[in-house]
Formats: sequence, structure tokens, C-alpha cells
Amino acid sequence: VNPPDWTDGQPRLVVTRCGRCGNHWYLPRVHCPVCGGAASTAAPAAGSGLCVAVTRLHVTADGSDPIALGLVELDEGPTVMGRVHDETLAPGHRARVAFLGSPALPSFSSEGTR
Amino acid sequence: MVVHLTGVGVTPFGRLPGPDSLGWQCDAAERALADAGVEPDEVDTVVAGYSTVAGHLMPANVFAERFGLRPATVFGMSVGGATGLAMLAQAARLVESGAARHVLVVAGENRASGQSRETSTKVLAQVGHPDYEVPLGGTVPAYYALLASRYLWTYGLGPDALAELPVQMREHAGRKAGAQFQKPITVAEVLESRPVAEPLRLLDCCPFSDGGAAFVVSRAPTSDRSLEVAGSGQAHRHQHLSALEAGSTGAAVAAQRALAQADVTWEDVDVYGIYDSFSITVAMLVEELGLTPPGRAGAYARAGAFEVDGRFPMNTHGGLLSYGHCGVGGGMAHVAEVAAQLRHERGAAQVSACDVAYVHADGGVLSAHVGVVLRRAS
Repeated sequence: VNPPDWTDGQPRLVVTRCGRCGNHWYLPRVHCPVCGGAASTAAPAAGSGLCVAVTRLHVTADGSDPIALGLVELDEGPTVMGRVHDETLAPGHRARVAFLGSPALPSFSSEGTR
Repeated sequence: MVVHLTGVGVTPFGRLPGPDSLGWQCDAAERALADAGVEPDEVDTVVAGYSTVAGHLMPANVFAERFGLRPATVFGMSVGGATGLAMLAQAARLVESGAARHVLVVAGENRASGQSRETSTKVLAQVGHPDYEVPLGGTVPAYYALLASRYLWTYGLGPDALAELPVQMREHAGRKAGAQFQKPITVAEVLESRPVAEPLRLLDCCPFSDGGAAFVVSRAPTSDRSLEVAGSGQAHRHQHLSALEAGSTGAAVAAQRALAQADVTWEDVDVYGIYDSFSITVAMLVEELGLTPPGRAGAYARAGAFEVDGRFPMNTHGGLLSYGHCGVGGGMAHVAEVAAQLRHERGAAQVSACDVAYVHADGGVLSAHVGVVLRRAS
């Protein structure tokens, strides 16, 4: 069982590392998809990484106002999807996560800005 | 043993209110059986794709009853946009094993007129992870927009690079009866169309359509128009965008498996049908397949590489972007088109010396990959 993360209401991203081959991942898995190993260690990520993608979504699923989403390659390895609350954040920038709203969602801004 | 694609049927696609999902499936099946010259009572196996509008638990059974079949074997399949090609691949396996003589593969959906755009968007967004992605508010266009953003940044390109692809698809659709959109568009019009999920704009995205498609896969040819299912290959490396490996989505693995089974190389392929749910989809696919260098799909499109007389004639019916996208049947229209090309029946849009075709579809977010090689009978 993974330690609690933002999907359980805790303000953190959790990264899992395979105990056999060192592969790492973000979404819950039973086995390592590279080596099949079942022994893994999950730990909170520091919350920083490289922004590799940003989209501003105009046609939202529920018809609400536009939202921005991004992909960030965490320093621990895996790629994480989150909201973006910083209009200046663009691919190639360093990004840092915050947990905003209720229920709290991971949301990225340029590292050094709030 | 050689397996034969004896019949293909595809309806016009568009916003065409009237038939329900089963109605479109019956229309397509009628066309495919007539094309094959196979009577309904000769069909021993039915494989049907899901319909998001109908949402039935037993899509093949409910189709068989409506159409008036009592087959020995039926099953439904559900691997997103790759479902049509996956059904074709499994139909070929069943025939090859001796378990089936004539397999009817069918899909159809009134996706444009049977449910609201909002409902379709919500249903399709469920390909996102229920805990880690869907709560963020993403949609399928948003997931592909993130891929587009990463792609444009990786190769230092502007959105005009991707806009070349819908322009080419629209040009093809202008020469294909039954296409949803036929009026030519320009790169400027793509870039000025309303933003859906930036950098993707309306004309970067396929429409919702009503329509259907069907195949008959058989142990023996039924006419000299029958084609050979020469090989197929699949790869399923992830479901969710958060687990996708850029540049290694599984597309190339699936293609190489299909080419190897058919004992051909890219040099042998004369016509292509490549899944194009969004401009970015077809760009990433042709590049991972190795047809163009990384970051160059748009430049190749601008230079005419995907034209009827280009190096890689592709989606000469207009693809999902312009022929239309009715769900599972959308990816099957690519097969119907290359079949017409291999039969040398495409008139003014005919690819010359056309003997071998490669078709590729993906489901989810470049998640499920299926490639199929078809060949004109020698």
C-alpha cells in the first residue's frame, strides 16, 4: 500500500522505485512493468522538476471556465500531470508543485514564483 | 495460411440524424457482405466494437440479433480507437486457426447526433486515470494538447508545423464521397480556428460523427477483389498519459511486428492509413514509425509527402480529421480506403502501382497500438 498522497487529501506527490531494477513510476502499479519485480519503495517527491508541456483547455468537460494543465518531469524521474496556476510557466522552465483548491489538486508554477 | 479480406463497407460519415448505433452497424454490415459476395447465413463469427452512445454490455450479440444472424461465435472488443484494427487482427487469427470461415467485423455509432458533445467529451475523458488525471479536469483533447506542447517545445517548432497535417487531410477528403468535411482549408485557417486545448485548435481535432464500417474476413477469396491480410502486430505499453514514454509509445513495436509477420519493409509499402484523431496524433505516429525524421511530419506534409503521388500516400479518404470519426468505425474507414487503393478502384485519387498497404491505429492516449499489413492478391 502506497503512503497517502494528494488523492487521499495529503499535500504530496509520491514516487515509487522498483527494488529490483531501479525503474520508477507515479501511477499505482502492483509490479514493475520493466522487470516484473513486486518489491518497491514509495516515498514523497520533493515536488520540483522540469516542465515539459502546458495546455490551456478552453472546452472543459463540465463547461466551466478555461483551466491550464501541465506535465512536469519530477527530479525523482516520473512525469506528473497537474494544474498550472502560473501563466508564465512554459515547457523548459523549472516547476514547483503546490496543492490548491478544495479538494486540493497538484498545481505547478515556475520555481521561484508563487 | 493466407487470410483474406473479402469485403469492406463504410457508410458516409457526418452529422446524419436518424439511425441509432445498431442502424449504422447494419448499414455497414450490409455493404461489407455485398462487397464480399457473402450471404448472411454464411457468417459463422461476429466481432463488434463498442458504441459509447449505446453502451451495451454485449455489442456483438445485440448486433447479430438485429441484423438477423445466429453465429457460432461472437465477442465484443474495447481497446479505444485501435478496436477496429484489433478486431481485424483477431478475425484473421480465428480464420487462420480454422475456427472461423467468414468473420463479420462491425462497428457504428450515432456519436454526433445521439448524444451531446458535452456527454461525448465526458465519456471519452474517462481514458484518463480516475484518481490521478480525471479530477484535474482534463479531456482527450487536453491530453493530446499536452503531447503537442511537449512535441513543439522538443523540436523548437510553432503550431504551424502541425497545421499542415489537417490541411492535407482536408485536401484528400475533397476527392472522397461521403467525407464529413470537403471544403479546402489553409494553414492560416487552422491557426485562426477557435482554441480547444492550446496549442490544439478546432481544425487540429477530428469531429464527432455518425457512421459505421464493417469487414468480412474469410478463409478463401470470394472474388479477384479479395485482399490478403498479410500481417498484424500490437503493443500495449501504458494506458494513461502520465505513464507514456515519449518516443516509445508502442507504435514502432506494433509496426515492426506487423511488417515482420508480413515479411515486408517500409520500402514495400505503397499506401498508408495512419490514425489521425488530432494533428499531433498522426505527427507522432509517422515519426515513431520512422517514416519521417523526428519533428518533421509537418514539413513532410507541406512538401507533399502524404499526397496521392507523394512518398507516403496517407489517409487518401481524409482520415478522422476530415472523413470523420464515429468511434470504432472511424479507424476502420482507413482500412476501407486502403482496400479501395489496393483494388485500384480510387479513380482520380488512385495511388499508382499500389500493392501493399500499412494501417495503424491507436487507442486511448497513444496507449493501444495495432498495425496491419494488407496486400493485393498476387
